[in-house]
Amino acid sequence: MIKRYDLIVVGAGPAGLSAAIEAAKNGLKPIVFDENAKPGGQLFKQIHKFFGSKEHKAKIRGFNIGDELLREASENGVEVVLNATVIGLYDGKEVTVKIGEEILHYKGDSVLIATGASENMVTFKGWTTPGVIGAGAAQTMMNLHHIKPGNKVLMLGSGNVGLVVSYQLMQAGCEVVALVDAAPRIGGYGVHAAKIARCGVPFYLSHTIVEVTGAEAVNGVTIAKLDENFKFIEGTEKTFEVDTVCVAVGLSPMSQLLKQAGCEMKDTPGGFVPVCDDSGATSIPGIYAAGDVAGIEEASSAMIEGRMSGARIANYLGYLDEDALQARLAELEQALSSLRKGMFAPENRGKLVTKTEEGIDTSMSLLEKGYVADDEIEKYPGVTKGSGVHPVIECTQNIPCNPCQDACPKGCISIGSNITSLPVVKGDVACIGCGMCVASCSGQAIFLVEDDIGDGYGTVTLPYEFLPLPEVGQKGIALGRDGKEVCKAEVINVRSSTAFDHTHLLTMKVSTDMVMKARFFKAE
Amino acid sequence: MIDIQEKLKEIGPYVEAADDDVLVCRCEEVTKGEIRQAVHAGMFTMEEIRRYLRSGMGLCQGQTCGKLVKGIVARELKVSPLEIEPATSRAPMRPTEMRIMAQDGGGANE
Repeated sequence: MIKRYDLIVVGAGPAGLSAAIEAAKNGLKPIVFDENAKPGGQLFKQIHKFFGSKEHKAKIRGFNIGDELLREASENGVEVVLNATVIGLYDGKEVTVKIGEEILHYKGDSVLIATGASENMVTFKGWTTPGVIGAGAAQTMMNLHHIKPGNKVLMLGSGNVGLVVSYQLMQAGCEVVALVDAAPRIGGYGVHAAKIARCGVPFYLSHTIVEVTGAEAVNGVTIAKLDENFKFIEGTEKTFEVDTVCVAVGLSPMSQLLKQAGCEMKDTPGGFVPVCDDSGATSIPGIYAAGDVAGIEEASSAMIEGRMSGARIANYLGYLDEDALQARLAELEQALSSLRKGMFAPENRGKLVTKTEEGIDTSMSLLEKGYVADDEIEKYPGVTKGSGVHPVIECTQNIPCNPCQDACPKGCISIGSNITSLPVVKGDVACIGCGMCVASCSGQAIFLVEDDIGDGYGTVTLPYEFLPLPEVGQKGIALGRDGKEVCKAEVINVRSSTAFDHTHLLTMKVSTDMVMKARFFKAE
Repeated sequence: MIDIQEKLKEIGPYVEAADDDVLVCRCEEVTKGEIRQAVHAGMFTMEEIRRYLRSGMGLCQGQTCGKLVKGIVARELKVSPLEIEPATSRAPMRPTEMRIMAQDGGGANE
């Protein structure tokens, strides 16, 4: 008996599962193979809240999105086979799968490749020393296996992966000694950089690793500044005592199966990818690609691409008529294009965007040091003054994200129909200090500030995601956006709520003249 | 089609570099210097380098070093990495024990 399926999906990550769900909803019988012991791809390592809007599952943490996908897959009868490694894709859409001690053959009327990507590496002296690890490996250790990768870590790479993993390393109790990137500017979202900068992590842009030392394991790392030709400038070396060096220098699509199958491929600066249309159809009828394997993006867009491929495949096999397909694709296309807007849109990759869509100067301090300078912050529309408690939204880059707009029960925050617009605080609405906006911001960029609570003091309420949670009455130091000490602080309230989803709201008392500077609490 | 002799003249002779001893392919223990020398011996494509040095033929199947090797070859040839002809993709995509391969009954396992 030939095991035959309407759709064979390779890879049970966000793209593959979404495609299988979409196909199954249209009546197809899909099977999903994944070489890992657990489904979900990288989603279960993502403990941060996602960006985007409601339709992109914004402000939901990645692993919860993973759970939702798995539930949806099982409700729709998607068969997921784990520990199943697809090792070949042949003519007639036949795949060979290694399961246990056997190699099994399956045939699909359609095949979707959603194998994702693997981490890039860089070579430097000592890069093979135990303790030099990929950022993805660090995430796997921390967030899947609950193992601390090291105690003192240097992160190489300031893209979103480097930034997000640096923060997670700190959450796991590691000390991140520095974040280093050969590029002259931080590659990832400013809000991700700002939340590590205010904890005191220094950024070294235009720097890279000269050497890692240690015979049996990493015991130190030396970095140096680079000139315009990416050559080390002598005399700029800095050495850090670390036991771990984390590398986050990009991803490459794992597209080998598509190439083996004979799909037309193209080599791009982003990796070796199949030539395919918007819904992932490759040059071979019936073979599709979705997610990172078709071009590196992130999980939110991978899920939409998967749905598009799923719908297209349903049409290809006659389960969905052309009109219904076009309607569905238009809907998904809109969701996808909104994610590809703003300062980090694909067409802006590598470019310096000097002004926001609102015409405000981009903070160069944010791009080069990881934080908006104190004298720049008031230029942005979310940063307002007022008597009584009020939100201060330090969102300064046009990124596709808008959960804050729906968070305020009083409707005091507005982004409007353009998802990348900077949030505006409406002056005529009274803030009740509920903190829903603070917890809703995936970038942890919203603070509640009250200038004057008497005796020369004011308060700052900040999102706090570290353990142990400080206690009311605890004294410490308020750190500025640059992570440097600004004044003494006392915790006067700590709020936790299911609605905040593990983002705690810490309110600290600081002197009134420091309420616009103090952005983090460090226990003494 | 690149004229190998012309290209070799253009790139000049192999000159030793300080970081030639850095391992690039960890699985098969191939160094940067070996890859550079291979280019000067006339290996200009990923397929040739792979057959000549076994880089990318180990446990990770070039997942880690593929891009690095390509970069080294491109720099040596003074071209963009996009111009380097990629290697062929072949099954098995992942390391598979011969014992298991031998049991692949083909049609019988369909």
